[in-house]
Amino acid sequence: MRGYLFAILSGMILILVSCAPQTCYENTDAEVKAYLYKKSTNTNTAPDSITIYGLNMESDKLYDKSINVKSAILPLDISTSACKYVIRINGVNDTLGFGYDNFPYLISKECGYTYYHNLNPDSLTYTTHKIISISVIKSSITNLNEENIRIYY
Amino acid sequence: MRRTYAYIISIIFMISCFPQLSSGQDTIDFPLKIRLGIEAVGPVSYYTDRNILNTEVYLSADLNEKRSVILSGGYLDYKYSQYNYEYSNKGFFVKAGMDFNLIKPLKSQGKYWAGIGFRYGISHFTSQVPGFSVDNYWGSISGSIPAQTSWGHYLEASPGIRTEIFRSLSLGCSVNIRMLIHTGLGKDLRPIYFPGYGPGANKTSTSFSYFLIWNIPFKKIRVIQQKAPPEESDDTEDNTTNR
Repeated sequence: MRGYLFAILSGMILILVSCAPQTCYENTDAEVKAYLYKKSTNTNTAPDSITIYGLNMESDKLYDKSINVKSAILPLDISTSACKYVIRINGVNDTLGFGYDNFPYLISKECGYTYYHNLNPDSLTYTTHKIISISVIKSSITNLNEENIRIYY
Repeated sequence: MRRTYAYIISIIFMISCFPQLSSGQDTIDFPLKIRLGIEAVGPVSYYTDRNILNTEVYLSADLNEKRSVILSGGYLDYKYSQYNYEYSNKGFFVKAGMDFNLIKPLKSQGKYWAGIGFRYGISHFTSQVPGFSVDNYWGSISGSIPAQTSWGHYLEASPGIRTEIFRSLSLGCSVNIRMLIHTGLGKDLRPIYFPGYGPGANKTSTSFSYFLIWNIPFKKIRVIQQKAPPEESDDTEDNTTNR
């Protein structure tokens, strides 16, 4: 009888002291993963340099003459359903525009909520100064490390 | 001849009185009980953390010395907040199933229970995210998710023990292992915590329960139990070896 009581009481104490908060270790950002492909070789190749910033946000660059960039991470503007980027590949500027839907998503209790997006392939716009073409590989934009679009230059 | 008849009648009478009693069996009177239990951890935890009020009561009735049917229900009022969001969930749950006692009736005597229970659970709850914030390259945005009412379904296996500490009063504890069937809210906005199940973002959940139980005997049944075969004593083995 004492053994049973001891087990029950010690278990209760264990439960009370084991409710420690946990930490978020997951990536919480849902961003467009754009892979850069050289059209002539059809291979995932980093350009000599790349600069990327939001339209009218030149002072805040995501990539600034960066080298060895084979894939670029492009966050979408959650406050609207469209946004544009300036992409400078090897010194030549292009603009790239996205249209999308936003919807909230629970990552986990520890990490909380974020917004996922569904790209609308028909509303994808771009100039073709250095960019040759863009294809949408996966239109659902999540926090997973998946290729979403392929930029051929 | 009369004596012969008397013997035959006596034997028939004895057999009819103890139809299943043989030299290798014991019979015991086993009390079947109705039990009313109240979960103790939830209310105790509420005093240390006012954000979670979790209550549960159950009613069970023995069908025989091994099996009992169980119906439990409870209420949850859950609030959680951290630097980037707030969450709340309120609702009720009901579970129904069966408990199986693995202790032999001779040892259990209706006082001790060690076994496993299986239940199906259903919850009705309203969850809400009053506010959450997301930051990225384009700036910070605050959002909210309005109250959503849903039904959650799950299965539960509960191995545990129970012992009578006073007459008609027992203490019991169990580990509850649950498997989520459906939260009703889709994959994008799974409930962070919902009644009866716990963390709805996980496919499985575990918890511990401690019950204070009031036992009400309602019937006695006669249970026949096979006697355990006598064990050979060490002396016999020694003797055999010496030979």
